[in-house]
Amino acid sequence: MSLKIKSIVAVLALATSCTAFAADVIKIGVSGPYTGGSSPMGVSMRDGVRLAAAEINAKGGILGRKIELVERDDQADNQRGVQVAQELINKERVVATLGYINTGVALASQRFYEEAKIPVINNVATGTAITRQFLPPEYPDNYIFRTSANDVIQSAMIVREAVEGRKFTKLAILADSTNYGQLGREDLEKALAARNLKPVAEEKFNIKDVDMTAQLLRAKGAGAQAILTYGIGPELAQIANGMEKLGWKVPMIGSWTLSMGNFIDNAGKNGDGARMPQTFIQDPNTPKRKAFIDAYQKAYKIERIPSPVSAAQGYDSMYLLAAAIKQAGNTDGVKVRQALENLNAPVEGVITTYVHPYTHDDHEAITMNMVVMGEVKNGHVVYAYDADKGQAVREKTTAKPKK
Amino acid sequence: MDVFIQLVVSGIALGMIYALIAFGYQLTFATSGTLNFGQGEALMLGALVGLTLVGHMSYWLMLPLVLAFGALQGVVVERVGVRPAIKTKSEFGWIMTTISLAIIFKNVAENIWGHDDIPFPSPLPTEPLQFFGIHILPMEIMVVVGALALMLAVEIFNRKSIYGKAVVATSNDRDAAGLMGINTSMVITFSYALSSMTAAFAGVLVAPLTLTGATMGVSLGLKAFAVAIIGGLNSGLGVIVGGLILGIAETTTGYYVSTGYKDVPGLVLLLLVLSIKPAGIFGKSVIKKV
Repeated sequence: MSLKIKSIVAVLALATSCTAFAADVIKIGVSGPYTGGSSPMGVSMRDGVRLAAAEINAKGGILGRKIELVERDDQADNQRGVQVAQELINKERVVATLGYINTGVALASQRFYEEAKIPVINNVATGTAITRQFLPPEYPDNYIFRTSANDVIQSAMIVREAVEGRKFTKLAILADSTNYGQLGREDLEKALAARNLKPVAEEKFNIKDVDMTAQLLRAKGAGAQAILTYGIGPELAQIANGMEKLGWKVPMIGSWTLSMGNFIDNAGKNGDGARMPQTFIQDPNTPKRKAFIDAYQKAYKIERIPSPVSAAQGYDSMYLLAAAIKQAGNTDGVKVRQALENLNAPVEGVITTYVHPYTHDDHEAITMNMVVMGEVKNGHVVYAYDADKGQAVREKTTAKPKK
Repeated sequence: MDVFIQLVVSGIALGMIYALIAFGYQLTFATSGTLNFGQGEALMLGALVGLTLVGHMSYWLMLPLVLAFGALQGVVVERVGVRPAIKTKSEFGWIMTTISLAIIFKNVAENIWGHDDIPFPSPLPTEPLQFFGIHILPMEIMVVVGALALMLAVEIFNRKSIYGKAVVATSNDRDAAGLMGINTSMVITFSYALSSMTAAFAGVLVAPLTLTGATMGVSLGLKAFAVAIIGGLNSGLGVIVGGLILGIAETTTGYYVSTGYKDVPGLVLLLLVLSIKPAGIFGKSVIKKV
């Protein structure tokens, strides 16, 4: 009997010591696809977040507490993303979540964070609607932030490149059938309409499609001078390879996903010359960027980051969140959100130095002036315009509050 | 006109990929009345094993090794997943076991080869050939020729060799074949080996055209299943015709109607076939006596 009581006491003591220990760490959720077609982005983002968290922990953590990352694979699947969100909020009780690669997953999952008053920093997903899901007056406070270039910025840059840079007027849009592709297609249409242009062809394809003949022949038949794309790596590679097969080569200009390793590798030489907006190019043109690239290469033993943009945005999102928690002085979701919206001290990131990146009404850290055009060249993404190389770090232009 | 021919040519190449995978469904259905729902994963494993081997040897030397691997993988599926279900006369057990084996294979592949799509070096030149303004890749010709050759080889084997006759006998009436001294469970194992072998072969054939990765088999396996249903699950000719119909329907609808609807005609056809002639266009309906 006494043994039984002793063991119960021991177990209880152990349990309380465990909870005491758990309260000492700051749990931060990381949700992204670590498997499947968008995994290069998910894995690079996660590795960027890990790198930043390790650096912060090495310097003593935040508020004297260590960061513990709770990483979950949302498999780029909307339902799975919702499950992950519920698990992170209710079971893991995270302070905030970083992540979301896929616009669809973000839109499906963010509701739970908004209700729980827990901040989310989207560090890769670009869908325009993401930061506008919960706006006043319906929702007094928005808990969704972003460190990536949204689709309005990207589509405007794609169209600017095609129309001003290359003087094209006949443009075809090829977009995949996911939320990402279709919302991006709408933004491209709007950006074209702003210049009184209409796409000569608008084609759709599915994830895992292996044949793009019909789409390309329609674009060709319509006399397209360039193809504007909204999709992810593997299918974009099929488009580039399909053009080679049909003996019809026109420039590809598209969303930032044209920089994905699985596009570059699978398209090979057919992908050379593709251009896309980038917040970060793997080029050590500032000391901070050099340190980041060196640390990344050393930690993960690779030369080319699978998705440099995702890695840099993931890294920066962790530092922004850490700065906000530090300023809030505790891990309460409301306080952390308020701190994010009024960050006092500048945060030095890889993409830029963030000076007041967010306000109550503006949850976008990236403005168009920070984004540059990248180009695929011999298996790497390089600056399309040498002029961009020089002024690497650009500050946010004060954006008008978006309604 | 050029455009139409180009679409048909691309549709044929696509359709033969479907047909070859569908052929694998048909092989096991004929002997055992069961299907391997992991046919797409067998294709994926074949392609990935081929990709690893191709780093050390030429494409042509790699082919027989991949075929052997595919056969072995088929035996594993049959022994682990299908045989227990047949033994207990379970009507649906094999559905769950082959699906779960497929998921296991996919996860194993993700752990060995990673989550990303990888290019497969093409054994033939990647520049397209031109005939009267029609572009076609050498690899597409090889897919069509290779698929037809393999299906022909299996058909000849079934008709001419003594082992093949055992397979045909088992397909016609398993119980009677057993009474005649044919080791029918052996024949079923053999048909699974053959079926996964065709899938693995399909894998290395199509990999230079598609991309190689752990998830490459999912959508191909599903479309091939539709092809097998359209063509008829017990007809070798049926799967070829079914594959061509689906492939050409996809490319032509994509061009003439809308690329957003390119998968619709195939599925409509599937529904039509199921409601009008459930055994498939070329299938023989079997009366099941209970």
